[in-house]
Amino acid sequence: MIKRLFDWLKQPLGLIAVGIVFLAVFSVAAYGLYTTQQSPAQPIQFPHKTHVAFGIQCLYCHPGAAKGPSAGIPSQAKCWACHQQIAKTQTSVLLAPLKEHVESGTPIEWVPVAQVPDFVQFNHRAHVAAGQNCENCHGDMTTQTIAENPQVFNMGFCLDCHIKSAGEDQAKLNKLADCGTCHY
Amino acid sequence: MATVTDLKITELKLSEAEGGKWGMVIDQDICTGCQACVAACAMENNVSFVGDVDSGYGRSMHWIRIERFWEGEYPEVKMTPNQPMMCQQCGSATCEPVCPAFATVHSQAEQLNLQVYNRCVGTRYCANNCPYQVRSFNWRDYERPEPLPNQLNPDVTVRTRGVMEKCTFCIQRIHKAQDNAKAEGREVVDGEFTTACAQACPASAITFGRVDDSESLVSQLIKHGHGVKHLEELGTLPNVTYFKGG
Ligand code: HEC
Ligand code: HEC
Ligand code: HEC
Ligand code: HEC
Ligand code: HEC
Repeated sequence: MIKRLFDWLKQPLGLIAVGIVFLAVFSVAAYGLYTTQQSPAQPIQFPHKTHVAFGIQCLYCHPGAAKGPSAGIPSQAKCWACHQQIAKTQTSVLLAPLKEHVESGTPIEWVPVAQVPDFVQFNHRAHVAAGQNCENCHGDMTTQTIAENPQVFNMGFCLDCHIKSAGEDQAKLNKLADCGTCHY
Repeated sequence: MATVTDLKITELKLSEAEGGKWGMVIDQDICTGCQACVAACAMENNVSFVGDVDSGYGRSMHWIRIERFWEGEYPEVKMTPNQPMMCQQCGSATCEPVCPAFATVHSQAEQLNLQVYNRCVGTRYCANNCPYQVRSFNWRDYERPEPLPNQLNPDVTVRTRGVMEKCTFCIQRIHKAQDNAKAEGREVVDGEFTTACAQACPASAITFGRVDDSESLVSQLIKHGHGVKHLEELGTLPNVTYFKGG
């Protein structure tokens, strides 16, 4: 039975069939990969590139990163403090949704991109206080238009750095590699 | 039945193992059995409500429960003091070595028994091997009708079906206190924070703190009272001390 199948596959028609199957699987996989590499559709096409280039500090818009577990996304009040005075706000199509939200007072529903699962407890404060730069984990935001996640926050990503920063310090390693530090 | 040789092994372990880090003292004489700790624990730790049917099968879920025992023959029955029972955070825990998935491990940093929910595959060996019977298993995905999801604690993982869970000594509060202290450049002060059960107890029957710090309130209480640790003779090195009758 298997031998007959192999014989059939070796003739030209069989080879073409193999080729088609291979192409189909490959393109589905490629498409799947492609979709994971895209930034999600955001309510406002907020360009990090432009804003960071003006020299606005990350912590101005994400102040929670220095204080607590989550960095936070700025509310429209913060956007409006600048954009109210910028002429382009009245004309730009990209900024029309912002104007709408400010006028109606409804919150902007950003789609989260940088996320760890519910069973992982992450804390920005500890990392920022330890001198970790935002780029170490979020990539270079000065080149990004719409925020995307440059790397998957899997366990190896966290532990690699934790083990490296603990170095020879056994007590610190115990703390940083302990399951109870991240999972509870 | 413990034979003489068994006891020797126990003694050996007791002297070898180091003491714990976090500990609890429970005064059974002032515990009124009001169940406030049970409710507070369920709120703090997102413990599911099992409902009457599953409870009937003995599948109720609590991280802390009030045990009551009766002494004597009818009509001369006497109730013993209420006994809040939760994970004793054993220094030499019987639940840990039996887990085939290494989901319940000992924390080197905090000296607690951890339950890594995402690692757990639900064999229930740990619960069967726990002499205190304090582990509970998620037999189902229990329903949380609106608006109950709004009161979930974001600092604690919401467990799903097939996962074992148990008291963590409110490890999320330990981490929060440590993080706050670190942000302010100091050490955690004794009494700065406590577990949900201790916080809710109207009679202050539960005290929580560092047992490795001889100045802390728990250490002082342990030193000055005649406390017992339950089933200590098994060599589990529990970290909860009970006071009764005095
Ligand atoms: C002008 C305010 C502003 C500044 C400055 C800013 N951000 Fe943002 N950031 C936002 C807004 C608004 C979003 C939500 C929109 C999005 O996800 O694209 C966001 C989203 C993000 C996200 C994705 C979060 C998520 O899960 O949705 C990351 C990561 C991030 N910012 C990092 C940074 C870093 C790093 C810097 C500094 C280099 C920075 N941001 C500077 C406003 C700002
Ligand atoms: C510190 C001031 C400041 C803050 C805060 C700020 N922006 Fe801006 N934003 C600017 C400036 C300046 C420009 C560039 C305008 C130009 O090109 O003339 C800009 C450009 C933009 C653009 C691109 C407009 C276009 O047509 O190219 C968008 C979209 C935008 N901002 C959205 C936001 C949102 C959303 C927030 C709040 C999270 C925000 N901005 C907060 C200063 C700010
Ligand atoms: C050690 C790695 C690391 C560093 C350093 C880091 N982040 Fe994050 N960031 C994360 C992880 C992991 C998440 C996902 C957190 C979650 O899902 O709870 C995240 C989420 C975010 C988010 C979106 C969700 C939220 O928490 O509100 C923003 C915005 C953000 N980070 C901004 C920053 C900024 C700004 C800095 C620098 C001051 C920074 N991060 C530094 C790892 C890091
Ligand atoms: C770029 C390096 C780096 C990466 C990546 C990283 N961490 Fe850390 N993390 C550190 C350092 C350094 C500390 C120690 C901070 C200190 O000493 O206070 C730390 C500390 C922590 C702490 C302990 C905070 C406390 O209470 O002291 C937690 C929790 C934590 N990290 C979680 C994570 C998680 C979850 C991830 C992955 C999403 C992650 N970290 C990725 C460098 C990193
Ligand atoms: C520095 C933080 C950190 C520590 C320490 C840590 N983990 Fe994780 N772990 C993570 C993160 C982040 C993920 C999420 C990975 C993902 O999203 O793919 C994870 C995922 C997992 C998963 C996969 C769950 C799933 O369903 O995908 C398991 C199992 C796990 N961890 C077990 C452990 C055990 C056991 C330990 C202790 C030996 C441990 N972890 C210590 C951060 C950590």
